[in-house]
Amino acid sequence: MILSLEGIAKTYRARAGQGDVEALRPVNLGIETSGFVSMVGPSGCGKSTMLKIVAGLLTPSAGRVMFQGAEVVEPSRDMGFMFQAPVLLPWRTVERNVMLPAEVFQLKDPEVSERVREAIGLVGLGEFSQAMPKQLSGGMQQRVALARVLAYRPKLLLMDEPFGALDEFTREAMNLELLRLIRPSGITVLFVTHNISEAVFLSDQVVVMSPRPGRVAGVVTVPFGPDRDIELMREQRFTELVFEVREILGAEGDAAAADHAI
Amino acid sequence: MSSRDTRLVDEELIIPRDVETGQWKYRVGALALAVLFFGLWELLPRLGLVSEIILPRFSDTMTALYTLVIQPFFPKHLKVTLYEIFMGFTIGTFIGLTMGIMLGVWEGLRKLTYPFVVAFQAIPKIVLAPLFIAWFGYGTSSKVVMAVAIGFFPVLINTMVGIENVPADMKELMRSLRATRWQSFRKAELPAASPLIFAGVKTALTFSLIGAIVGEFVAASEGLGYLLDTYNFALRIDRVFSLIIILSAIGAIFYFALEWLDRKLISWRED
Repeated sequence: MILSLEGIAKTYRARAGQGDVEALRPVNLGIETSGFVSMVGPSGCGKSTMLKIVAGLLTPSAGRVMFQGAEVVEPSRDMGFMFQAPVLLPWRTVERNVMLPAEVFQLKDPEVSERVREAIGLVGLGEFSQAMPKQLSGGMQQRVALARVLAYRPKLLLMDEPFGALDEFTREAMNLELLRLIRPSGITVLFVTHNISEAVFLSDQVVVMSPRPGRVAGVVTVPFGPDRDIELMREQRFTELVFEVREILGAEGDAAAADHAI
Repeated sequence: MSSRDTRLVDEELIIPRDVETGQWKYRVGALALAVLFFGLWELLPRLGLVSEIILPRFSDTMTALYTLVIQPFFPKHLKVTLYEIFMGFTIGTFIGLTMGIMLGVWEGLRKLTYPFVVAFQAIPKIVLAPLFIAWFGYGTSSKVVMAVAIGFFPVLINTMVGIENVPADMKELMRSLRATRWQSFRKAELPAASPLIFAGVKTALTFSLIGAIVGEFVAASEGLGYLLDTYNFALRIDRVFSLIIILSAIGAIFYFALEWLDRKLISWRED
């Protein structure tokens, strides 16, 4: 068990006279090493809040996050965080963007530039290492962000709707890339999305969340092995699992949310 | 590479930039406007529509410009004013940058001092000129101080606002990497703020020129502003115009130099 959430909750203090806002009810969750777990749910279900708590970017109101046997109190360099936007530094080339974490960690060994080059190659941007971010399409920029996070080999990868801003075609391509890159690497992934089929396609486990207040409505285990391709989406079992997730969301009485989460 | 074959969509398109087509039209247009402007300047006094005492012909002004520039006393005045502008601009930019960074980085300090900053900016700086003369004398230092007083402010404000408005996710990225405060500032916030900072620096240049000339107007014994004031008093309007042209040229040369530097340093700008 690389990561466990033990009764994680988040309440935002409101102004005097108003009730506090309960963003997240206590959540318990464990993730095995090399596992791929998605959190799926409509906007306002607290999934991004949860991810930021795991990352040590937000402090929980209650409970604790255990990562590699220690409590998370601040960001860890064994975790990589990928945002919905690529968040590249526009004044740096692709290569220098991917180099950023190593610079911040003050790694100086010659191996670093080799790793950076390898990561850029892995995401298929080998020819673009000297390009500036503004010259790249949205999908390519998100690939750079992926290379940046892969280059420093985190044990745990936290992804906050990383492909949410991409069009459907690019998103599918990125999902396949992700499986191809992540599965052999042994990196554990916690992936937040509002896209149910994306969650089922990628994960070993889908944590279904419902909003107001955010809480875990159910967990669906996905029995497909690590080798998946786009053909999987044709299969009856795949469709059934997507519907199972939908039903959990629907049973929570939030039809609008289910509509939203295609 | 096999990885490339598995991709569903090939999205390797480089967006073309710097499309130069149509640029020459604007150049020709600008030239035509200049010809029209100087033509009117020549014609209006020549046709007697405007008195030549108030507005000397363009050709006469050019002659006056030439005879002024070759006067033996001219280089001394030019040097004095250039020195004042340069020193005022450099010191003002330095002060503005330092204060702007401090106010941008420390929210508490910003909230504490902001009313004072605004109050100072609300002063029409010209009223400070007599005061600076009294404090720093008739020489160049009072003009440098005047140029600093006017010039530092746009740098301060732009630096402060630039750092304040660095995208939140950029800061969060640095935080997720456990960057130190200094690393985050040096690698993310300062470069992200630099386009705005540079815009402030360009404004500071123009403002420093104004400061130096205003200082010379109030009390001076040398400098282009002093010359201009003297000629104006003697109704040598042709030389007044000559000096205006020279000052405009000085400002424009510095400005374009900064703009060139801006484009060199901040070529990544997204717009």
